[in-house]
Amino acid sequence: MRLPFRLPPIDWPLAGAAAGLVLVGLLTVYSATSIPGAHEGLWLKQLMWALVAVGAAWLATVLPYRVYDSLAYPLYVVSLMFLVLVLLFGSSAYGAKRWLDLGPIKFQPSELAKIAMVLVLARRMDDPKLNLRKFSHWVAPLLLMLVPFLLVAKEPDLGTSLAFPIILIAMYFWAGMPVTQLLLGLSPVMNIAMFVVTGSIWWFIAALSLMLAWFRPRIAVLVAVLAINGVVAYAMPHIWNGLHDYQKRRIETFLNPGQDPYGSGYQIIQSKIAIGSGGVTGKGYLRGTQKALAFLPMRHTDFIFSVVGEELGLIGALTVVILYALLILRGYRLAATVRNGFASLMVVGLVTSLFYHIMVNMLMTIGLAPVTGLPLPLLSYGGTALIVNGIQIGLLQNVATRRHEF
Amino acid sequence: MLLGFGVVTIGLIRLQVAFHDQYLSLSKDNHVRLEVIRAPRGSIYDRNGVLLADSAPSFSIEFRPFPAESISIKRTTQGSAWIAEVAQLTGTDTLKVREAVAKANRTGQAEMLRHNAPFAVRAAIEEMRGELPGLEVHIEPLRRYAHGTVAAHLLGYAAQISEKELELRAADGYGSGDLIGQSGVESGYEDVLRGQDGAEFVVVNAMGKRVTTLSEGPPQLPVAGHDLVLTIDLKVQNAMEEAMAGVDRGAAVAIDPRDGSVLGLVSRPAFDPNEFSLGLSPQRWKELSEGGANPLINRAIQGTYPPGSTFKIVSMLSALRNHVASPTTRLAPCTGRYTYGGRSFGCWKHTGHGSLDFISALEHSCDVYFYQIGPKLGLTPLGDAARDFGFGGRTGIDLPQEKKGLIPSQAWYDERWGAGKWRKGVMLNLIIGQGELLTTPLQLALMAAETGMSGKALRPHVVREIKGVPEFAPERPQHERIAGDPADWQAVREALERVVATGTGTAARVPGVRVAGKTGTAQNPHGNDHALFVCFAPVVDPQIALAFVIENSGHGGSVAAPKAGSVLARVLLADSVYAALHPVARPRPVAAAIQVPDSMEVFGGD
Repeated sequence: MRLPFRLPPIDWPLAGAAAGLVLVGLLTVYSATSIPGAHEGLWLKQLMWALVAVGAAWLATVLPYRVYDSLAYPLYVVSLMFLVLVLLFGSSAYGAKRWLDLGPIKFQPSELAKIAMVLVLARRMDDPKLNLRKFSHWVAPLLLMLVPFLLVAKEPDLGTSLAFPIILIAMYFWAGMPVTQLLLGLSPVMNIAMFVVTGSIWWFIAALSLMLAWFRPRIAVLVAVLAINGVVAYAMPHIWNGLHDYQKRRIETFLNPGQDPYGSGYQIIQSKIAIGSGGVTGKGYLRGTQKALAFLPMRHTDFIFSVVGEELGLIGALTVVILYALLILRGYRLAATVRNGFASLMVVGLVTSLFYHIMVNMLMTIGLAPVTGLPLPLLSYGGTALIVNGIQIGLLQNVATRRHEF
Repeated sequence: MLLGFGVVTIGLIRLQVAFHDQYLSLSKDNHVRLEVIRAPRGSIYDRNGVLLADSAPSFSIEFRPFPAESISIKRTTQGSAWIAEVAQLTGTDTLKVREAVAKANRTGQAEMLRHNAPFAVRAAIEEMRGELPGLEVHIEPLRRYAHGTVAAHLLGYAAQISEKELELRAADGYGSGDLIGQSGVESGYEDVLRGQDGAEFVVVNAMGKRVTTLSEGPPQLPVAGHDLVLTIDLKVQNAMEEAMAGVDRGAAVAIDPRDGSVLGLVSRPAFDPNEFSLGLSPQRWKELSEGGANPLINRAIQGTYPPGSTFKIVSMLSALRNHVASPTTRLAPCTGRYTYGGRSFGCWKHTGHGSLDFISALEHSCDVYFYQIGPKLGLTPLGDAARDFGFGGRTGIDLPQEKKGLIPSQAWYDERWGAGKWRKGVMLNLIIGQGELLTTPLQLALMAAETGMSGKALRPHVVREIKGVPEFAPERPQHERIAGDPADWQAVREALERVVATGTGTAARVPGVRVAGKTGTAQNPHGNDHALFVCFAPVVDPQIALAFVIENSGHGGSVAAPKAGSVLARVLLADSVYAALHPVARPRPVAAAIQVPDSMEVFGGD
């Protein structure tokens, strides 16, 4: 069949999935705020934000991505400045400073910083002579990631800050870093993580020995990996035991906010009841009765997926999961087909960022991940997040329309 | 990627298919609620194990809002009949109940209606539960201070965390309704005293009655806070409180010179920390925290006063150790006036003291003798000695918000008046303890204690032991000794003993005990002079050092010294001897023999 006009050459399945998710989000925000009381009419605001987001997506699409390539460093510097500003003047809530109050809107600089870091890393690693086995080649991207990571972690916003290293790992991999090198490079992190989880270093020693035996790295690398892990393993218990009890408690709550019995544990239970009571077919749109959920302050933002699960059941929830899977799959496919190195890396970074947020939020609502306060991309109520998601989708479409350019 | 979405899918199937029935029933008839199990705050004891502060269970009445869907029941709780009945039952006024209910419905969180409800109220509510939906009775620890105003400033108080503090300290695990130390030991040792609250998930029915606990997680049991043993000796503290009875404003500190531990600490005016536990009205809070008297200020560590002639202890030691004079040096005889730099400086005794050696000069607090020492000694050595004793900086006591006081230096004057633009005459005011000097009563007591120990440096502290933390030990002093030959210290101590035996401080005499002390009268530009007295006793192997500062009350020898004497008698004499000497409960100070003491010169440069 021939259409009477030519469609623009964007990635239609990807655009369709995104639009479908925004639509589900609008309907769910309407339902979640339809109970008389607070927040009535928020869906109208969300509709307005959605239109702004479509505009932002369109803008991000039309400008050739080479412009973003050349603007990467200035954008990165500006985003770092915003991160410093938020630490100095940000509005705080629940003990963390995350937003800049700009009159009518609240702006979350960490969102901008994520995109800026993706651009700058893509620019940096888009180099035919790049050899990530060389120290000087892989250390620069690492430093470019660490600065915004530490600034965001300082807010403190652990959930968002972890997106930075995860994006970097995906882009390292895409740029050709061997898996062995990635795993060995991550070994100090695994070391700390396994110490925190198991309380002993023997698990890690076993894992590292297996890894080393399997990979057989060069002597210099072997020595370096052993030395770094030795120092980490030696220092960890000393540092840990030297802390006061209340300091340990603070770190544990920081790593796992779900331990905090006030609020977050309660929210997870309410969320599980809402989803679980929905069953296969759900209670019906606008018919969510989970009484206590009406008191969940974040039912239209962080816990919006719980409302979907309650009212539309497994069918509705799985539809949302499939739409997200489609979005992410098309995204990675795009990265594989595009010819330009910068564009390909940028797409991987952006898609990974989306994927991370989707996973962290969904796993939280079904009780498999701690409460981190990350919204669900495209679905949750919130202006900044929606516009940033729009820009991300727009950048993907930008690459899609120019996928054959070199 | 597929793995991630796979896990989500399996998680959804688990909740929505496998455990669907269970969650459905939870959502239908009941609500799940998180109940906090409050951890008791650590108790506080004196050094002999006498209880000073503890926590007791009390009952509070809360209103928990109903979800929006329960329209009829919600309407009931907003009706005036319900509100009137609840107000009457809890003994609060209807307006407050109405506001609390409105706020609870707005936020979805439970609101407190009544703290510390008497048993009768609690019983009535339990009985009426069916007819008064939404009311809940909770147990919460109530902070009690066994001795009321006694040592109130040292203990401080704990109160419910304010919304502002909650925002600042949410990361430390504080929740709404938690107690938090606001001053004194309660604040300084907050992290130790505070326990860790527990929590459990309970399932309650529509009437708010507890049906069962939820299998989602076993209850997290509360961990009690650590108990504290203070260095305070209630016997000393009570003697000091008695001595300070009737004083409008002032402070007193007692230190054990052997280890720097604080034996007693009094500040006037006082407050009763129990008031904070029960909840203050905004009006009462205003009374306590504002206005001139400001009872919440701990004058012993936050009040700064010119030390007056008590500072001559520092001056004398500094002169001796810098070899400006020896104990037997005789200077020009005192005629009641001394002229320096074209200005006249007076001695407190206008008729003059005549010819004196150094020891007699301190005994009689002769200003003219010290005026003559001043220019020879110089500003910097005097300031160094003062700082050695702990003046001009925080002593490092384990109480929050200690003030530093002020020991002006050359640089300080240069900055204030411009280099070279100030008169050297300031030295004459400083050496007799007037001028810009500012000290806290704690620093003065520390000076007396360190003099009693011939220069052993001390670190004052109030907590002796944290139960359950065996590795805790009081902080060490910042340095070992205050420089000075044994002979120098001996001369100062001898002079101080003569102050009490035959000099300006005879009102502090205690029969059978050798007491060394120094009177002081600090000029106050805003009113009457402050009376000061510092002392230690016995002279050999001292067991207690004291400082008294009584604001706007006159002379140290006649006002402050007798108070110190009464404390020394109560603490150092055997009970039988004390009873024989003091047949009446309160000793009447013998003030007749005392002359008008101490320096009266005004610093003219201001």
